[in-house]
Amino acid sequence: MGSDSPDELVMDLERDQLVAETSRPVARAELSSRTIAALWALRVFVVLVSLMVIYTFFEQLS
Amino acid sequence: MSTREALAPSPLLAPPLLTDEDLARSHDRARVHYARRHRKRWYLLWLLVGPGILAMLGENDGPSMIAYASDGAQYGLGFFVPFIPILFAMAYVCQEMCMRVGAVTHRGYGELVLQRYGRVWGWFGAGDLTFTNLITLVAEFVSIRVGLAYFHLGAGVAVALGLALVVFTLSGGRYWRWERIVLGMALFNGLFLVAAILVKPHLGAVVSSFDFTPFPSGSFNTLLLLLASTIGATVTPWMIFFQQSASADKGMTPRDVKFGRYDTAAGAILAAIFGIGALIAGAALLAHGGSGIQGFAGAGFPEALKHVAGGAAGAVFALGLIEAGAVAILTISASTAYAAGECVGVSHSFNSSPRGALVFYAANVGVALLAAVVILIPGAPLLSIVLNANVLATVLLPVSLVLMLMLANDRGLMGAWANKRSTNVIGIAVIAFVGICGAAYGIDSFLQTVHVVG
Repeated sequence: MGSDSPDELVMDLERDQLVAETSRPVARAELSSRTIAALWALRVFVVLVSLMVIYTFFEQLS
Repeated sequence: MSTREALAPSPLLAPPLLTDEDLARSHDRARVHYARRHRKRWYLLWLLVGPGILAMLGENDGPSMIAYASDGAQYGLGFFVPFIPILFAMAYVCQEMCMRVGAVTHRGYGELVLQRYGRVWGWFGAGDLTFTNLITLVAEFVSIRVGLAYFHLGAGVAVALGLALVVFTLSGGRYWRWERIVLGMALFNGLFLVAAILVKPHLGAVVSSFDFTPFPSGSFNTLLLLLASTIGATVTPWMIFFQQSASADKGMTPRDVKFGRYDTAAGAILAAIFGIGALIAGAALLAHGGSGIQGFAGAGFPEALKHVAGGAAGAVFALGLIEAGAVAILTISASTAYAAGECVGVSHSFNSSPRGALVFYAANVGVALLAAVVILIPGAPLLSIVLNANVLATVLLPVSLVLMLMLANDRGLMGAWANKRSTNVIGIAVIAFVGICGAAYGIDSFLQTVHVVG
């Protein structure tokens, strides 16, 4: 964990700010099946509405 | 501070290898530590402001200022004068989360979503961003073109100016340099306030408009369009990517979060004031057939203002449009570059050299170049693109906001810096409001187009 303590600074950077640290991927979160389902539902809804906006845009052009 | 187990550093076995990016960031952080040690609060504030003001004033872009001026020209001051500050208060809630997550995790939004929640969500977000950014960048070049048209300069100059600024600000290999140049330019967003003063508004009318009256008249679809495009003028996906990544690139840490909040709040207040400035300037056209003004057909607004309020007001508004477009080109291109580097998993920092961060620099210039090419295409439907840019951003925004809310609540990443309950309540309300307005407009317009409703 990055600390606010100055003695843990490396060249004025907190250790977890270094490129060597930020290049390491963070651990994958465990999402519940309900969360995943909700995200997919929102995603599909947003894509559908976007397609409606794009369709309307091209219809207005013609 | 509680443990942030998802970000636990590797064991200290050997001195870490420092990159050029680390060294450049370290230089900036040394000044922050100096200011903090010597209790130089104003100097510390000066060092730490940037991402918040740039995100907010970057969103006061060409299409947004035209949208505000159009609102004023068609409906006057009522409703929109109080509505704009409310929208920027909503933007503050979203952007504060971005800043906080960036400062605590030192990572951008794109890479955190991709690594924490899976590649599918990361690439969806980057895809949405690239799509809306490309459309918005076209609108920014059009904005510069409209401003320059007032001074009898053509589309070629607009393209050259926009691209030259992107290349110039990138040359230097330092985040600090890029940020300060763009920050200096962004303050000229205040030209819209000057334009508002030049049209000599009736102060009593401005003050009395804070009671939300008169409410805009017109069809349900028109009202939804106004809401969706005005929301899209205030909160957009690129701001989320930009502020989180820029906060991390700047080297902000949890100790800087308080100043990050000042930065974001200052940006929101300035953006609201300047946005209201554009609205007031546009409202000067209300009694002169303002509803017929087509902002992007030729040099519409500046020319119209010239006839109503004099050449100075027209020129200042035109210069404002050039500034708004130019700053947005820089910030939106940067957000695309951050997202590209983060999702590909390569270096993505202004503190890296072009050779060390090829994808980042190529995406930065490439997306601006692509948008510039579009406005040079003869007969391209620029007006329609501009009008739909904000609406599309509003429609796609809820997914980005939900994932941002999840990141800000992720105690494995944020520890004690995770959202409080009150922030979540406000955040969920903002997402619901944005989602409902965007979806209602999209669905209603579609149903009208296919003649299901009249």
